Amino acid sequence: MKRLITLTVNDQEYQLEVPAYRLLVDVLREDLELTGTKEGCGIGVCGACTVLLDGKLVSSCLTLAAKADGSRITTIEGLGKNGALHPLQRSFIEHGGFQCGFCTPGQIITAKALLDINHNPTEEEVKEWMSGNLCRCTGYYKILESILAVARA
Amino acid sequence: MATEFAVVGKRLPRFEGNEKVTGEARYIADITLPGVIQGKILRSPYPHARILNIDTSRARRLPGVRGVVTAQDTLKRRWGAFQQDQPVLAIDKVRYVGEEVAAVAAVDEETALEALSLIDVEYEELPPVFDPEAAMEPDAPLVHEDKERNIAMRINVERGDVAQAFAHAHCVVEEAFQSTLHWHAAIETIGSVAHFSGGKLTLWMNTQTLFMARHRVAWAMGLREGDVRIIQSAVGGGFGGKSCDDNNAMVCALLAMKTGRPVRIINEREEEFLAGSRPRVPMKVYIKMGFRRDGLILAKELRIIADNGAYTGKAAGILSVAALRHDTCYKFENVKTDAYLVYTNKIPTGAFRGFGNPSIEFALEQALDMGAEKLGLDPVAVARLNAAEPGYVSPHGNRVGSCELKKCIDEAARLIGWEEKQKHKVLGRGLGVGCTAHVSGKRHFGDYDGGSALIKVNEDGKVYIWSGEGEIGQGTNTVLCQIAAEELGVPIEDVEISTADTDLTPYCHGAYASRLTYIAGNAVKAAAAEAKRQLLEVAGESLEANPQDLEIQGGRIYVQGAPEGRSTTVAEAAYSRLFRRGGAPIVGFGSFDPDSQLSDQNRYGNESGAYNFACQAAEVAVDTETGQVKVLSYVSVADCGTVVNPVGAEGQLEGSIAQGLGYALAEGLTMEEGRPLNPNFHDYKILTMADMPPFQRDFVPSYEPTGPFGAKGLGELGMDPVAAVIANAINDAVGVRITTLPITPEKVLKALREKGKTG
Ligand code: FES
Ligand code: FES
Repeated sequence: MKRLITLTVNDQEYQLEVPAYRLLVDVLREDLELTGTKEGCGIGVCGACTVLLDGKLVSSCLTLAAKADGSRITTIEGLGKNGALHPLQRSFIEHGGFQCGFCTPGQIITAKALLDINHNPTEEEVKEWMSGNLCRCTGYYKILESILAVARA
Repeated sequence: MATEFAVVGKRLPRFEGNEKVTGEARYIADITLPGVIQGKILRSPYPHARILNIDTSRARRLPGVRGVVTAQDTLKRRWGAFQQDQPVLAIDKVRYVGEEVAAVAAVDEETALEALSLIDVEYEELPPVFDPEAAMEPDAPLVHEDKERNIAMRINVERGDVAQAFAHAHCVVEEAFQSTLHWHAAIETIGSVAHFSGGKLTLWMNTQTLFMARHRVAWAMGLREGDVRIIQSAVGGGFGGKSCDDNNAMVCALLAMKTGRPVRIINEREEEFLAGSRPRVPMKVYIKMGFRRDGLILAKELRIIADNGAYTGKAAGILSVAALRHDTCYKFENVKTDAYLVYTNKIPTGAFRGFGNPSIEFALEQALDMGAEKLGLDPVAVARLNAAEPGYVSPHGNRVGSCELKKCIDEAARLIGWEEKQKHKVLGRGLGVGCTAHVSGKRHFGDYDGGSALIKVNEDGKVYIWSGEGEIGQGTNTVLCQIAAEELGVPIEDVEISTADTDLTPYCHGAYASRLTYIAGNAVKAAAAEAKRQLLEVAGESLEANPQDLEIQGGRIYVQGAPEGRSTTVAEAAYSRLFRRGGAPIVGFGSFDPDSQLSDQNRYGNESGAYNFACQAAEVAVDTETGQVKVLSYVSVADCGTVVNPVGAEGQLEGSIAQGLGYALAEGLTMEEGRPLNPNFHDYKILTMADMPPFQRDFVPSYEPTGPFGAKGLGELGMDPVAAVIANAINDAVGVRITTLPITPEKVLKALREKGKTG
């Protein structure tokens, strides 16, 4: 059974016909070719597929696309304006907040959600908030540094 | 020795930063080709069973299915890095849960999955064997019928006179240790996209060793190596797990060849745990160590039983590292090792950051600590007394060049506050220390451990490096660009590096054995030197100067010592060498093979061109009510020669600690009859940001004369001793010695209770 849904992704509106069981991560990556959103575990644990849905963090690997009908979604491709990088993106580059980069879109989206609601988080708040985003490369120290640098700027 | 460099040693941002923070980087799952179809693999549900029959007819008839393959569709060739014992698809029997039995390619994933459910396999279960020691018993079931007592390999060496040295020892310690399976758990799983057209197989892979993958795929598929082209996608973490020791690319290639369509196979996370990246080799280690009164190690005896799993992969190399490498870290004279690699009905084990060192050091570094304790000596002093020095030759022939291990020990002790804290002991808190030695490349494949690179200088002065080593997230491309920029004297912004591609770059072994900074770095430096020679030759004409008298800085070429005088630029030189009658572009080729040796029959030989060292220390608090271990602070100090890129180098130590602490305290899967019960990230817990302790890392001043600008390897060092350091700190805190991994609160509690009983 297919359903017609409307998604506003990174300020652009899309009308899509999707099967009831289709996951948001697949719609983003395959139908809309927004491959910046990654899949690492498929069960809502690693955070690689994190996107903003009406301003809230969701694991797109656990979200049915049909359930997102009518919502506004922000993916990593939606950060930064007019070709300029978002301050978090710049900071991750400057402070070495990534190595392989596979977790990075999810890390940056999650960090953005925090800074959107809390302009000046403590180190502990950042650690707590970010603990749903796994990274196997960095040991997290430089991710933390990258986020705190933006918060303190 | 260390001079001021223009580019080397600078905190430069990563080469590929932009594409990684914007989501533009193309990982394997992001690569599509027109008409690509989905491959899926049917896996064995049994640890050990005979395959009586496979009926694929129902699957073939399913609409949307483009191909179904079993072993009958292969050449039935076995393949592997050191021992060719692994089939592409199981032949006649399966040897572990998750082994590839059949595969399908279909128009979409749902159809492919449905087709898998329509393949009927008739099995006859065979008695399995899971414990390597049990597998060596005479009546144990055989995993491979031709491998007596399931032994894949044995290393048995004695150097010096061990019995006599033990007889003179003032103190002897003896213990048995057991390490565990440890998965890479890179956030990106293994995947491949294959296309076969006009007799040529093109494979996009997220592999860290492209040319080795090419060799193995060509062999298994019966193609010439030149008819296989491997192109590296962006790689979402390797750590040894993406070294093409598994069958993902093989099956993908087979399906592409059978169907004539491009095929994609990306491992699900569950598949990655069952049969993807080859986890760390678990080892049972019986160790006996004898000491002089002052803590000097007199003798060491090891018996190692290593779990090979069902197929050999890299475990053969790993066993030799476990058996011999650590004797490069401390000065040993009398050592005896009897080491076995044993087949079991479990996932094949293999290369994971540290390559044998973490498994063995869990035992060795604890034995050293036990010796210090028994002698009433400070473990830091004992480590220092025994530490390797420049000029030391290990009993197995490893020749130590640059070595600042003692400085590492001093610095680690200082940073953790060792002396102060030992003086003012706090109840339930303790300190631990451990050291390691690692290589910068290891000579084995074809008696060649070299690297090569090409560099062209475009007519606008922009420099392009062709390298086939491959970036896997470790930052190698940035390091190689820095080395090229330094040698050529051009701004780093003017240097670019290729994607690794076996058709377009010279042969490169790839990313393993912490080899790239040292070996690829030297190759790139040589290529840059040749390009520079060509540039200076042309510049000499226009500046009417002897090329030997010229130098390049910031892209400007002028007479040495006279930067204000007449000058030209790299761009002008490259342009004028090309655009003239009989002109030619500037292209430099560079190659480097270190002065190391392939070990001989008796396993003697200097395995690497340079050795890197580290010392680590930790402070932990142990809750005696719950058994919880809290790491209060951790210190890691390395000697990797010149640090080419501090941001990247720090990142290597930081990432290593996260993996090491996971190995020490948390990571593992519950196995039942050779089957992981919950092969996913719920049950396999890797550390999160909130779990990370305060961490200090540092690099001691060091210069390796044979390294590019003094640099040597670093990638694995930080992982090696972590589990032992934590175990030593726990013992210091509460007086219990944990001998099996991971160190769970239950184990600590149990040990505390037993200690309470015996007083
Ligand atoms: S892929 Fe969605 S949380 Fe891991
Ligand atoms: S940078 Fe590799 S997983 Fe985070």
